[in-house]
Amino acid sequence: MEDGLRGSGIDSGLRADLEALVGADAVVSRRSELKVYECDGWTIEKNAPDLLVMPRSTEQVSAILRLLHRRGVAFVPRGAGTGLSGGCLPLAAPVMICTSRMNRIVSIDLSNRRVEVQPGVVNLHVTDAVRPQGYFYAPDPSSQSACTIGGNIAENSGGPHTLKYGVTANHVLGVELVLPDGEVVELGGPAEEKLGYDLAGAVVGSEGTVGIVTRATLRLMRAPQSYRTMLALFDDVDTATRAVSKIIADGMVPGAIEMMDRLIIGAVEAAFHVGFPPGAGAALIVELDGLAAGLDDHASRAAELMRSCGARSVELARDEAQRQLLWKARKRAFGAVGRLASNYATQDGVVPRTRLPDILREITAIAARYRLRIGNVFHAGDGNIHPIVLYEERDADETRRAIEAGREILKACLAMGGSLTGEHGIGVEKLAEMPLLFSPDDLRVMAELRAVFDPDNRSNPGKVLPRPGSCVEVSAPRRQVPL
Amino acid sequence: MSSVLQTELGRLFDAGRLREPRGFESAAAEVVVEPASLDEIGELVRKCERDRICVAPIGACRTLRCLRSAPVSAGVSLIQMAGVIAHEPDDMTVVVGAGATLAALEAVLARHGQHLPVDPPFPDQTTVGAMLGAAHSGLTRLSAGTVRDFLIGVQFVGHGGKAVRGGGRVVKNVAGYDLMKVMIGSFGTLGIITEATFKLRPLPELYAIAIGYHCAPAEAFETGFRLHDALALLHLELLSPGIRTPLTREGQYLLAAGVGGNRKDADYQLEEIRRLQPGTLILEGADARRFYRVLRDAELPQAPLRMQIAALPRQLPSCLDRPGLQFRAHAAAGVAQLALDDAETAAGIRRAAADARGHARVLSLQPALRGLIPIFDQPPSGALKLMRRLKAAFDPAGIFNPGCFVGGI
Ligand SMILES: Cc1cc2nc3c(=O)[nH]c(=O)nc-3n(C[C@H](O)[C@H](O)[C@H](O)COP(=O)(O)OP(=O)(O)OC[C@H]3O[C@@H](n4cnc5c(N)ncnc54)[C@H](O)[C@@H]3O)c2cc1C
Repeated sequence: MEDGLRGSGIDSGLRADLEALVGADAVVSRRSELKVYECDGWTIEKNAPDLLVMPRSTEQVSAILRLLHRRGVAFVPRGAGTGLSGGCLPLAAPVMICTSRMNRIVSIDLSNRRVEVQPGVVNLHVTDAVRPQGYFYAPDPSSQSACTIGGNIAENSGGPHTLKYGVTANHVLGVELVLPDGEVVELGGPAEEKLGYDLAGAVVGSEGTVGIVTRATLRLMRAPQSYRTMLALFDDVDTATRAVSKIIADGMVPGAIEMMDRLIIGAVEAAFHVGFPPGAGAALIVELDGLAAGLDDHASRAAELMRSCGARSVELARDEAQRQLLWKARKRAFGAVGRLASNYATQDGVVPRTRLPDILREITAIAARYRLRIGNVFHAGDGNIHPIVLYEERDADETRRAIEAGREILKACLAMGGSLTGEHGIGVEKLAEMPLLFSPDDLRVMAELRAVFDPDNRSNPGKVLPRPGSCVEVSAPRRQVPL
Repeated sequence: MSSVLQTELGRLFDAGRLREPRGFESAAAEVVVEPASLDEIGELVRKCERDRICVAPIGACRTLRCLRSAPVSAGVSLIQMAGVIAHEPDDMTVVVGAGATLAALEAVLARHGQHLPVDPPFPDQTTVGAMLGAAHSGLTRLSAGTVRDFLIGVQFVGHGGKAVRGGGRVVKNVAGYDLMKVMIGSFGTLGIITEATFKLRPLPELYAIAIGYHCAPAEAFETGFRLHDALALLHLELLSPGIRTPLTREGQYLLAAGVGGNRKDADYQLEEIRRLQPGTLILEGADARRFYRVLRDAELPQAPLRMQIAALPRQLPSCLDRPGLQFRAHAAAGVAQLALDDAETAAGIRRAAADARGHARVLSLQPALRGLIPIFDQPPSGALKLMRRLKAAFDPAGIFNPGCFVGGI
C-alpha cells in the first residue's frame, strides 16, 4: 500500500525482521486482510495499518518494540477494536500490534482476591473464571463479551456497575508495560499501597500512548449475596431522571441505575421482547446488591421513591432469568438501534447528576433543531449520557447535521460543568474539543507526562492531545458499532 | 532563618504571612509562607526556580519531618486556601482548598448526611493537601478504598508557577491524562496541590462495631479473614496489646469489625460475627462512633522507629509474626503500622514485606537511626527510571521538596 509507507521506515526488510521475531503466521501484510483493522467502533475515519503483528508474549512485544525503536517506526496497540473514539485507528502509525494472542489468565489468587492476566483476555472471561467460587471482576462495559482488559486499561472503561464499584482505574493494581523503546517495566504491584509515584495509575486511561501493557494485576470482588433488579417505567425522561437524583440523595448506593428513553425502549422491545409496554416514555433499570438480609427493605424504599416521583410502574425481576433478560436488553441496546437507521453515532458526555433533566431537554431541543432522531440509553446514576444520533450516511446533509448535533451536545455538557467523555476516551473523536475543557497549561503538562513514557511520540501518535494550534476536522459521524 | 531569604520572600509576602516555623515545622522548613492565591504561589515558585530555593508544601509536617533530613528553605502552608469552595450535596461532590483540614470538611459534609470515606488519623490536623501528598488513608479503606478512588479533580501549581488542572467536577470522567493519580502520593515533589474535588458517599444508616479478643495474632487474623469473606465489613482493624484503648484487655489482641447498612443488614452481620467469634462485644450508636474515633486515631507506642508495611493481605500475618511486636493492622487490606526497636528488626520486616509482594516505609525514627535505614524501599529499576523522568519533567529546576522521596528523588 504505497500511500501507507509515508516515509515511515516501513520496507520489506521490516516485515522480514518482524517475521523473524514472531514467525510468519503472526505478521499480516496482505491488504485485504488488513482491511479488517482499518477502524474500531468509530467508523468515520478509516486507515488500515501497513503491517499487523500478533505477538504471543511479553518477550515478543519487547523485541518488536526494540526493532521499531531502532527504525523510528510508530505503532498502535489494539485489543478487540470495540473502542468508540478511534483509539486504535492508525494515524501516523504504520504498524499495528494486536494482543489477541496474549489471552491467558496467568494466575488466580482467590484468597488475596487478585488475578493476573495478559492484555488480550476478554473482560467477561475474568469473571467467568472466578464466578463459580463466588467472585467477580467489577468493571463491566456493555461490550464485555468482546473487549479486552488491555483495551479497558487504555480507556479506563466503566460500565453499568461503575456507580457502586468504580471504573477500571479502581481495580488495576499493577501493570507490566513495554515502553516504546522495548524496555519492560513493572509498575505498581499486588499490594494496596504504592511505592513511589503511582505510574500504574497514570497508565490507566492513557489510550495506548505510553507503550503496550503486557500483563495486569486486577482486584477481584466477592460476589454480592443477592440482587434486586427493578424495571421502572415513566411517562417521560424528565420524571425518570428526577427519580435518579432522589434515590441517590436518599443515601442508597445502588449497584447500577441505567436509563432508556422512548426511542430505545421501542428498539429494545422489538429486538428482545422484554415486555416493555408500548408508549412508555422512559425506563430505569435499578439494581441493588449486597447482603440478602436488608435487600428487600432497600428495594422497597427505592420502589417507593420512584413511585413518589411519578413512576407508572415498578416491577421486580422475578428470577435470575428475568434479571439476565433486563441486562441483555440494556447491554445490547446499541445493537438494537441498528434496526432504526442505517447509521448512528454514539456520544459519551457527562453532566453532574442533577443536571440530567436539563441535558436531556437540551438534547431534545438539539434534535428538533437539526431535524434528527436521537435516542438515549445511559449510565444515569453517574450522569454519564450516551445520546445516539441516527442518520443515513447516504444523505450528506443529514450526516453533516448529525456531526454538528453531536458537537453541540458535548458543548452543552461542558456548559453544565460536565466532561467530554465518561468512559469512551478522547481518541481522535474529541481531540478538537479538548481545549474547551483544559487550558493550554493543563494540556502542556499532560503532554509532559506522556513524554515520560514515550519521548519520541511513537506510541499511538495523534491521540488524546490536540497538537497545539492544529485544527481537527471530522467529516462524517461514525457508523454503527460492530456488535 | 536566613535573613537574606527572609528579605527576599518579604518582597512577596507581607509580615503576617511570612513567619518562623512552629513545632514540627522546623524540621521541614526554614521559613513558612502562607500564600492566599494561585498568583502568589505562582510568583513564589518562579522566584524559587530562578534562585534555586527549595520549597515544600506543608500541612502539619508529621510526615515531612520524618522524610526530610534537613529542612527546605521555604515551607508553603495552604492555611489561607482552606475553604470549602463548592459542595453540591445532590451531586455528591465537593471542591475544597488544599489547606482545609479533614475535620473542617467532615463538618460541612455531615450536615448533609455525607462524608468522604477516607479516614486517616487526626482529621483535625490532617489537611486535604497532606492527605493527597502522602496518600494517607485509614480503616475504611477496606470497604470504600483510598483517596485515589475519590479524587475526581485536582489543581496544583507546577513548574513555571503555572496553575494546572486535571480531571473535573463530575464523578465519571476519562478526558485527558490522569493527573490525579500522579499527584497522589507525590510527597510534594511535583508541585503544590492547591485544590481538590472529591466524590462523596452517604453516611451509613447504621454503624456498629463488633469487638473480639484473641490471645495470638495468627488466630485473630484467621478469624478476621473468615469474617471478611462471609460479610461486607466496613473495616477490620487488629490492634496488638500494646496499642492502648479504653477497651484494651491485658495481653489480648483486639479485632474490631465494622458493619453498616440498614437494620437488617447490621443485625444479620452482628449475628454472624457472634457465631464465628464467640464472646464478641458489640458497640452501637454513640458508643460505636466514639470507639471508631479511638480506632482511627490509635497510636503506636513510643518507639525508636515506626514503619508501615503493605503486603498481600493473607501474607500480612507472616510479616508480623514476631514475639511481642506492637502493631495496628488494616487486616484485610494487607496494611499495618508497627513500632520497632532497632534497624535490624526493621530490615527483617522489610524483607518479609517484599517477600509478600509488598514494601515498607518508615513513618518516624529517632535521629540516631537516620541514615541507618532508608525511609522508602527502592522501586524496581525500570519504574525508578520513569519516576526520575517524571520528576525532571514536572520539576526541571529541582526545587519541589527534593532529595527525600524514593531513589533520592
Ligand atoms: C456495544 C458497545 C458497548 C460499549 N459499552 C461500553 C461501556 O459500557 N463502557 C465503556 O467504558 N466502554 C464501552 N464500550 C467501548 C469499548 O468497548 C471500550 O473502550 C473497551 O475498553 C475497548 O476495548 P478493546 O479491547 O476493544 O480495545 P481497542 O478498541 O482495541 O483499543 C482501545 C484503546 O486501547 C489501546 N490498547 C488496547 N490494548 C492495549 C494494550 N495492551 N496496551 C496499551 N494500549 C492498548 C488501543 O491502542 C486503543 O487506544 C462499548 C463499545 C461497544 C462497541
